[in-house]
Amino acid sequence: MCSSCGFPAAAGHWTETGAVDAGGRLRARYRRSAVLKRVLAGTGLAAHDGGIIPGIQLSTASGSTMIVTDLEEFWREAERLMGRPLDPLSPDFLGGRTCG
Amino acid sequence: MTDAADGEGRMRLTVVGGFLGSGKTTWLRHQLHAGYLRDAYVIVNEAAETPVDDALLGQSADLEVLAGGCACCDGLSGLLSALRRLCDRRSQSRSDGGRLERIVLETSGLADPAPIVQAIRADPLLVHHIVVSEIIVAVDALNAAAHLRTEALGRRQVEIADRLLLTKVDAAPREDVVQLMATLARLNPGADLSGTILGSLADLPDATGVEGEVLPMLGDGPAPAPIFPTRLKLDDEIDWTVFAVWLSALLHARGDDVLRVKGVIRTPAGRLLLQSVRRIVQSPEILPSRDGDEALDDDMIVVIGRGYRAEDLSCSLKAFAGVRTED
Repeated sequence: MCSSCGFPAAAGHWTETGAVDAGGRLRARYRRSAVLKRVLAGTGLAAHDGGIIPGIQLSTASGSTMIVTDLEEFWREAERLMGRPLDPLSPDFLGGRTCG
Repeated sequence: MTDAADGEGRMRLTVVGGFLGSGKTTWLRHQLHAGYLRDAYVIVNEAAETPVDDALLGQSADLEVLAGGCACCDGLSGLLSALRRLCDRRSQSRSDGGRLERIVLETSGLADPAPIVQAIRADPLLVHHIVVSEIIVAVDALNAAAHLRTEALGRRQVEIADRLLLTKVDAAPREDVVQLMATLARLNPGADLSGTILGSLADLPDATGVEGEVLPMLGDGPAPAPIFPTRLKLDDEIDWTVFAVWLSALLHARGDDVLRVKGVIRTPAGRLLLQSVRRIVQSPEILPSRDGDEALDDDMIVVIGRGYRAEDLSCSLKAFAGVRTED
């Protein structure tokens, strides 16, 4: 926990396991940010994680930005801002994809 | 349970059942660790084709995994053959020591123990060699109330139990545990009820005089879609980060449909054992590294649920990974 801001308040989220050192954790954050950007494309929302401040920054099209602690909160807030859940299995999300 | 076979020299079979994620393996793992079942031959049945539970149950010397079919339906013939093999092996060993006297069968979370017991009783060979001594059903103190309201299978499992293990009692509020105990007593008044925390026995609160929940009739209205397992192979382009982002989104949106996710994923930190029950994901456990054939099951995830198309899972996962697919 950061002694200046008290963040994060709880132990790491399950999605943040899997890295062994600080470099690996940073790489995983960049990668996570890239995945979230791709997933949010077309929703009017954007995700950003520059690796400096803790958490993930979630912004709306109007530019207002909030910081969420983990992916669980991320999806909750994204749902609130969009007014509907981002369902990875919905036809809207899958579009015309056909996968074998 | 007694250690010896029954008076007629038959082996005792203990069936350990319970709904998906109810804590069957955790309980069994603790029993093996504590040495209570050291003399037993353990058979683990998993509905999916990728076994995970054997990784957890490494303590048992005699462990067999029957994967790729639920032992109460598709996998029943496989189970009966395995039991016949055990009978054969036992018949060839001396009766004055070291002979197998007990079998423990851990069913998959989708199994109804009743057809298994019926099949053993109806088998002309097995009926002379095996007696089903006890049916133990694990009931998850956190999620069982919800399962019992909607899942006929969950009710059937509870109804047939000789002994109910109320698991995770430390994780649920006391009043919920008391209410669930009363509901279980209404469903199966004859079963012994004991509480467990991570497989160890735990005290249960007093539920005397509490009225159990009257469960809604099932069968009215549209029947819930069938539950089915799906295997997902994580290809090279799908690393742990992509998978974790995808799974967190999936559980957020579809946590009521995706009942269970489990599998072993290779990460820079090692082999992570991932397990979820509905929206709850356990902290991934790092498993010892393995080489050779057994590691082939790594990066294979089993998703058990309903209300979606199996192919949409891999399609959606690829979309998260940014893999281009044919439109």
